[in-house]
Amino acid sequence: MDIKKGQRRFIFFCLTPAVMLFIIFLIVPTINVFRMSTYKWGGYTDEKTFVGLQNFTKLFQSEKFYQAFQNSLLLIVVVSVITFALALVFASILSREKLKGQNLLRIIFYIPNILSVVVISAIFSAIYDPNSGLLNAILNLFRGSESAPTLWLGDQKIVIFSLSGAMIWQAIGYYMVMYMASMANVPESLYESAELEGAGRMEKFFSITIPLIWTNIRTTLTFFIISTINMSFLFVVAMTEGGPDGSTEVFLSYMYKEAYTNSSYGYGMAIGVIVFLFSFALAAILNAVTSRDHLEY
Amino acid sequence: MKKIISLALTAFLTLSLVACGSNTNNGANTTPGNSATPTPTNATEPAETQVLKFAALETAYGADMWKKVAAGFENANPNVKIETTIDKNLEDVIGPSMKSGDFPDVILISVGQPKGMTETFVKDNNVLDLTDVLSMTVPGESVTVKDKIIPGFTDTSITNPYGDGKTHLMPMFYSPTGLFFNAGLFEQKGWTVPTTWDEMWALGDKAKAEGIALFAYPTTGYFDSLFYALLNEVGGPEFFGKAMSYTEGVWQTPEATQAFDIISKLASYTEQTVPANANKDNFVKNQQLILDNKALFMPNGTWIVGEMGSAPRAEGFKWGFTSLPAVTDGGDRYSYTFFEQIWVPAKAENPDLAKQFIAYLYSDEAAAIFAEAGAIQPIKGLSDKLEGDNKLFYSIYDNGTKAAMGAFATTDPVEGVSISDTVFGTVDSLVTKAKTQQQWVEAITKASDSLRGALK
Repeated sequence: MDIKKGQRRFIFFCLTPAVMLFIIFLIVPTINVFRMSTYKWGGYTDEKTFVGLQNFTKLFQSEKFYQAFQNSLLLIVVVSVITFALALVFASILSREKLKGQNLLRIIFYIPNILSVVVISAIFSAIYDPNSGLLNAILNLFRGSESAPTLWLGDQKIVIFSLSGAMIWQAIGYYMVMYMASMANVPESLYESAELEGAGRMEKFFSITIPLIWTNIRTTLTFFIISTINMSFLFVVAMTEGGPDGSTEVFLSYMYKEAYTNSSYGYGMAIGVIVFLFSFALAAILNAVTSRDHLEY
Repeated sequence: MKKIISLALTAFLTLSLVACGSNTNNGANTTPGNSATPTPTNATEPAETQVLKFAALETAYGADMWKKVAAGFENANPNVKIETTIDKNLEDVIGPSMKSGDFPDVILISVGQPKGMTETFVKDNNVLDLTDVLSMTVPGESVTVKDKIIPGFTDTSITNPYGDGKTHLMPMFYSPTGLFFNAGLFEQKGWTVPTTWDEMWALGDKAKAEGIALFAYPTTGYFDSLFYALLNEVGGPEFFGKAMSYTEGVWQTPEATQAFDIISKLASYTEQTVPANANKDNFVKNQQLILDNKALFMPNGTWIVGEMGSAPRAEGFKWGFTSLPAVTDGGDRYSYTFFEQIWVPAKAENPDLAKQFIAYLYSDEAAAIFAEAGAIQPIKGLSDKLEGDNKLFYSIYDNGTKAAMGAFATTDPVEGVSISDTVFGTVDSLVTKAKTQQQWVEAITKASDSLRGALK
């Protein structure tokens, strides 16, 4: 009994600093965001007016908010699906196939992940340049140099996909390494048995690899949502500033503009609350949809 | 239960990042103003030293001129020490400390900055009334500040944001804005600079035949000066005033329609790649179009010469500058006057000293330091002393061009409504044809209606 009491004291002693930090840096700011979303406040003075849920009412009547919502959702879907698929494929190839220069390829794939968003944005801005960019130069080989240049960052219909390209390029290496780590733990004997049974590469991939790294996949999918919401803001700020004409505005860039440029700090915090609820809901849906029995080996 | 907790933690993390996001760049770059300046030699230095906190946005004029001016004020006032914070990202640097109640005494940052700090202070009634500075005698001189400033600069909707005759923001460095072009190219081609919009379109067709676009713009933000000048041309200052104060029906008048028609037509004559680079990282590529003879005109201010000073350029390139063409033959031509503003937060610790410092900034001594760095103040007679490109730029008003000043009137914050985004930001869509002129006008009307009721 005394030992248990001592253990409890020790655990309490060890956990207290972490819990305190968690409360101060996570719980309190979060509650504060909720609180501030019910005020009309410019951001620099003490003059705050309590407006209840008025900020939310205005938010749901705003076309700009819906555009930001649509763009954020589009980026989450496009970036997540493509990054997830490519990272899995590359991880599988680099883990399972015997290729020359495997280690070099791993490094090359991972490099974008250690580059700053600003650097990646500069690289992609150069690639997307309508006059001197690599992408139009390649396209011109097929369509002729006299044709009108594609405005990768200027055409409202495609600019959001141009941003996706930069985000996917940045993210693939990180998730590829995570999947490779999981795949390394899958026993080789399973693949050998499958081969003896006559299974092909695709069958082994879908029947052995995917089910056995499923837990890892589920975790990374939640990461995708969180990181895409945050990273999309950085890429938008660095590459388009939400333009042209607001066509690349995402949740957080819209929140930032309202809070800091339009002197509507409370309204900005209301957007923050919606981002919170949205990411919570999306993570919950994803958890439910991807739930399946845990396989062990 | 575990799932709910883990989901909650995930979402908490996101929101915490959101909450902390604005404070990532709060390393204040505060430098003592007099570290490289001479120590006052006055032997009778009073025991108590007053500290004046001065914050300025570092612009193309550089930071050194402020250090020299601060040293000049300290020399004249031995009991004063100036702490300067000069930074290219001033809003990020001083914003967090101001949120916690620590305000500089004097701030130089203009309206129209990305984070709208000045507008936020104005909207919050958080700027000190500086009307009495106008009647203060300039330190070391026998004239008042008002006597030195060019008339009109302290009567605009920017300096007097509440329309009550009181000056809350003082005008500092000014620059005529208009259309910049390669005068060398015009000489080579034998083209004349258009004086009416009809001549402008004719020149546009001529240039198009040679593969040159008539028009380019750095970002849509540069349309403020062009649009303000144009509104003055189509309807005169009274109409401009009505438009700026969101008068009901003003955007449906024939004058406004004429302005919208001109901007829409200008969009159709704009180099097609411009919207792709019209952001803060790539706008120089749009400016380069003029230097490379790929476009003829762009709206800009006199700082463009320094900004593109080391950029490559076409052979024989020579800066040219003109006001907007007139809407009718012989009609008024306007050039919008951009000027920076200096102000005092209402919660500044040393408001009286702040006013003395601002008065000193209009002295001949300070003006000479500023002018040396290329920063020209609206002080009577100062433009007569200019040379080179600046002589050409600042003499624009000597040739019959009228000066336009002012901007959209200050309102209480209206959530989700930004008049500048609506009026100017949409130009990208006009160029790419993603929106029609009618959609543009409808959006402006809607935004204007929303802001009318929130006027200060």
